[in-house]
Amino acid sequence: MNVVVIGGGVVGLSVAYNLARAGAEVTVFERKYPLYGASGRNSGGITPLLSNESLIKLAARSIELYDHIQSEVDFNFLFRKDGYIKVAQNDEDLSVLEREMRLQKAAGVDVREIDPFEIRSIVPAFNPESVIGGVIGEGGVIFPWPVIWGLVKGCKNLGVEIRVEAEVNGILIGDGEVEGVKVNDEVVRADYIVNAAGAWSNQFSNLAGIKSENRVIKEEICVIESLKPFIDPYLLNVSNGVYLSQSARGEVVGGVLGRETGVDNALGVKNLNTKSSLEFLFRYAKGAVEMIPRLRGLSVLRQWAGVYDTGQDGFPVVGESQIRGFIQANGMGRLGMTIGPAVGEIVAQVIFKGSGMEEFSPIRFSSDGFKN
Amino acid sequence: MTKNRKIVCRCEDLTEEEIIHAIEEGYTDIESLKRYTGATTGSCQGKGCLMHVLRILSQKTGKKPEEIGITTQRPPVNPVPLYLLVEGEGE
Repeated sequence: MNVVVIGGGVVGLSVAYNLARAGAEVTVFERKYPLYGASGRNSGGITPLLSNESLIKLAARSIELYDHIQSEVDFNFLFRKDGYIKVAQNDEDLSVLEREMRLQKAAGVDVREIDPFEIRSIVPAFNPESVIGGVIGEGGVIFPWPVIWGLVKGCKNLGVEIRVEAEVNGILIGDGEVEGVKVNDEVVRADYIVNAAGAWSNQFSNLAGIKSENRVIKEEICVIESLKPFIDPYLLNVSNGVYLSQSARGEVVGGVLGRETGVDNALGVKNLNTKSSLEFLFRYAKGAVEMIPRLRGLSVLRQWAGVYDTGQDGFPVVGESQIRGFIQANGMGRLGMTIGPAVGEIVAQVIFKGSGMEEFSPIRFSSDGFKN
Repeated sequence: MTKNRKIVCRCEDLTEEEIIHAIEEGYTDIESLKRYTGATTGSCQGKGCLMHVLRILSQKTGKKPEEIGITTQRPPVNPVPLYLLVEGEGE
């Protein structure tokens, strides 16, 4: 069986890894280089403290898989499981956190409420006056770069061909079934094509004749100078969207939850806007200093932006499309790193067993790309 | 021992040998080399090491520096303390 995977991010590589292990011949086409997209630009926050039962399960499974994969491929992912704290600044947001917590608990996740002063006992630099409450539970911080390099290594060991700077510019279909892809003038035959192109996945769906309308979101992140560890858990303020954590290298990495972005006509559909903004730094600085006042004197070394996609309804799009053999594995939103490894397993099941996760199937959207 | 260590990147404590090892492992474009070794991502943001990394990559691959190019340069040009950004809003 020949499978072409479009996109060399955490989802595409996890798909390739699982498929190759089950005996498929897999080729991954990456338009740029591994880590160019959201998999190389995110802050590495991993947690099952999510808002939907299936997502919670995918996250919990992915945390297990990270442990397995890093020993299988002999690569240290620098996964620090020191917990994940979500805080809120108003009653409405806090009640959402509490409602989600009940769902998480029901799914077997270790999570509980925490009051602002108790957060200070875990993160002494935390300002308890900045929030009204929150939840604390499983999760932590992973370093996305070694995750991707480790998956690349694991894939190559299994015989997967990873072609970088290789852009798929045609999808060949006959009789409602995929036949292969075109890469420049070369034709590569495939029994299955997996669209794992993240924020760029709409264009590959379109090449297959599927009108996909995944929403594209731009998010910005910056890094503050490296310090001795003083923030153990990952912190996310759900009210102002500001989040931060300290990486295993000591850098304080943080950002502000992203906003939907349209296609910039000057750049075209292929070149999504990944420009950094000063406005982001102002928003982040305000929220970060409010939460951890001692960050005031520290300096921003580098900022960047990334783009990711979600299905129209805000959920992932995973499963076989109306074209036989064309498998969607996109729309992960902010959760690519969080659920990518488990999505890789699911896609392998879709291809080998014909069973997947109905809830996230692309069939839930009608042919015009919107929800029925 | 330490006398033989040629430090290329002081922030991330990388030696020339480590950069060469990474190139031999297959990280042969500058963006991948950055993301494998951490070079240019420390407190100097590449001001001290980028040209060394470029030179080594050029010597090892036989490619001209202009063919290799440099990593995407990201703002800010110099580190900016958060207290300035907190106050700077609206200016």
